[in-house]
Amino acid sequence: MSISNYLKRTVIASSIVLCAAAGAQDIKLGFNGDLSASPSAQSGKAGVLGIEAAIADINAAGGVLGRKLALVIRDDQSQPPKSIQNMSDLIDNEKVAVVFGPTNSGNALAWKHIPNQKKVISMGMVGSGTDITKPMRPGADNYMFRVSMVDREQVAALVAYAARSGTKKIGLMGETTGYGQGGLKDLEEVAKLHGLTPLATEKFGVGDTDMTSQLNKMKAAGVDTILVWAQGTPTGQLVRSMEKINYFPTMLSSWAADNITFFDAAGKNLAGKPIFMRTIVSPGTPAQKKLFERTASKLAAPSAFPFVIHGYDATLLVAEAMKQAGSTDGAKVREALENLAKPVEGVKKTYAKPFSKTVHEGLVAGDLAFVKWDGDRLVEFSDDVVKALKPEDYKR
Amino acid sequence: MDAALLQALISGLAVGSAYSLVALGFSVTFTTTKTLNFSHGEFVSAGAFIGMSVLFLAVGKPLTSTSFGGGDPGLAAQAAALIAALAVMGLIGWLLFLVGVRPFARRPGMAWVMSTLGFGVILQSIGLAIWGPKPVVVPSPVGDSVVRVLGVGVRPQEMLMLAVSVLVMLAFDHVMRRTTMGKAMRAVAHNPGVASLMGINVTLVMVGAFVISSALAGLSGFLLAPIAQASLFMGLAVGLKGFSAAMIGGLSNARGCVVGGFLLGVLESFVNLWSAQWREVVIFLLVILVLAFRPNGLFGTRMVEKV
Repeated sequence: MSISNYLKRTVIASSIVLCAAAGAQDIKLGFNGDLSASPSAQSGKAGVLGIEAAIADINAAGGVLGRKLALVIRDDQSQPPKSIQNMSDLIDNEKVAVVFGPTNSGNALAWKHIPNQKKVISMGMVGSGTDITKPMRPGADNYMFRVSMVDREQVAALVAYAARSGTKKIGLMGETTGYGQGGLKDLEEVAKLHGLTPLATEKFGVGDTDMTSQLNKMKAAGVDTILVWAQGTPTGQLVRSMEKINYFPTMLSSWAADNITFFDAAGKNLAGKPIFMRTIVSPGTPAQKKLFERTASKLAAPSAFPFVIHGYDATLLVAEAMKQAGSTDGAKVREALENLAKPVEGVKKTYAKPFSKTVHEGLVAGDLAFVKWDGDRLVEFSDDVVKALKPEDYKR
Repeated sequence: MDAALLQALISGLAVGSAYSLVALGFSVTFTTTKTLNFSHGEFVSAGAFIGMSVLFLAVGKPLTSTSFGGGDPGLAAQAAALIAALAVMGLIGWLLFLVGVRPFARRPGMAWVMSTLGFGVILQSIGLAIWGPKPVVVPSPVGDSVVRVLGVGVRPQEMLMLAVSVLVMLAFDHVMRRTTMGKAMRAVAHNPGVASLMGINVTLVMVGAFVISSALAGLSGFLLAPIAQASLFMGLAVGLKGFSAAMIGGLSNARGCVVGGFLLGVLESFVNLWSAQWREVVIFLLVILVLAFRPNGLFGTRMVEKV
């Protein structure tokens, strides 16, 4: 072997060792979700702020298993093919221990087989689609966890409200997208559990500007409580159409109504019409206020703050599970998450045994609050019906 | 008449007026150059964003804001926004003709279809880079409180759009049928070669058609923004429906385009009264039926291709 060859080999070998050493120092966590393309991108961005804040806090306190956490971010631009590609890239090339996200529920459904096959934890903190956290097969090991809103849990609470209010005259409405139709299906099923038969079920397009025809049918059928599943902007157009025909039944809507796009579309005077669910009303506890102060300047709108909390708490739970497992190995971390021994002091709440083999939702109906807009602020909604609600009312 | 039916009729006319304006935009280039701007919908979005940017500047906000936060720009600013939308979109129309249509117009094949589509994609991507995907609520120049007539509620902006689309149709109809300019435009459409020999500046007429068509898109966007919110995706649906309206009414006939737009809007609204999920099926079945039995639209004149 010539000297130059020997030198070359030494350089290559030592750089490989150095790379490996650098890799061993940090535990890589991944984020895969929309940060730029769809109107939901602001929620994804808020979630990342929460993850980054939690990582900073954990690293300041010495990290996990003596190693620092580091976040690798991939934007899927809300497109399923890009999201699938990101997932493989994060797991196979970046070797992340956990993947947070995605922003859009549909993308999680597009790739949920990947983390399950590769045995890597997927921790949702934005998308609320009910089916995301269901196992691939009944009884199969499930790597999909979530700390966020869940459609079915919202529906459980909203229909419980309608049933407890004593009305029999409910009407259902949904936009003609996957989101609207999925929610409409949840609404129909849960209404049935309460023995409620909708007097009318109506649909509208996501870009529609006038829903007076559908509302006139609701009015003619005598509907006094409307349950709506749609995104922020069409929900706003719906209350504007209500104003046109001066028909304002009790309106229970998806949490898209907390989005600034709803508030903008409806306008200040009409924004107060719908009642909806949210994981927090507004930063209330000292920990929530502190986190809000840290991140507020980077938020597109204050109403996106719950996603910061979801991201923050999800990261704490994952870190605790790694500590308990003594490893970053996916299968071990999953077992630790499903059997967390120590309660985790989160920003939303204290998570005492949040997950089990069958429960993969960190937040459930009881953790949600009834909310409405008051002027340009979100406030807790409380009336005699809300106060009378009991845990057994939440049928799902 | 039943209040619900009357509401559906008025709401349908309001929605249809947007389709009418877009249909007119398609008609202008077709009647002169036999080409269409396939990114007319994106031009509508672009017009909305140009108008919106002027309004943002008027209330002292940066161009790239995403909310007016209750600020009212006032009538003078609205007028400036309208002029800006018309002028800038007119210029963009000129550019489109120069780079996207003229190089391909005289060649066999349909390269102009791809080049106009591509032009729209470029506009949209630039818009996304500047403003992002969030829709913006734009204040209306005529206020936002519901006007109630005979138990029917309608917003002033919707009435304005309705009136403007009828006025533009009347003006366009008059120009095309009664003025020398209109005759020149029709001559160019019929046979550019002969028109040129007759002393008509063919290029000028074609440029004019693209400028007017794009300015109309700007007008549509400006009027539609307070109703539908300004979004870079707003033009897609309205562009497709506007094109359908033009096919139903007759691409070569201004009155047909506007009637087609109103017809489509009212039909949508009445289908909503029956069952909204079948709306798109009904609309596009109608388009196919009209194309099958009256290929030039309900009001279109038969085009005879002479060989």
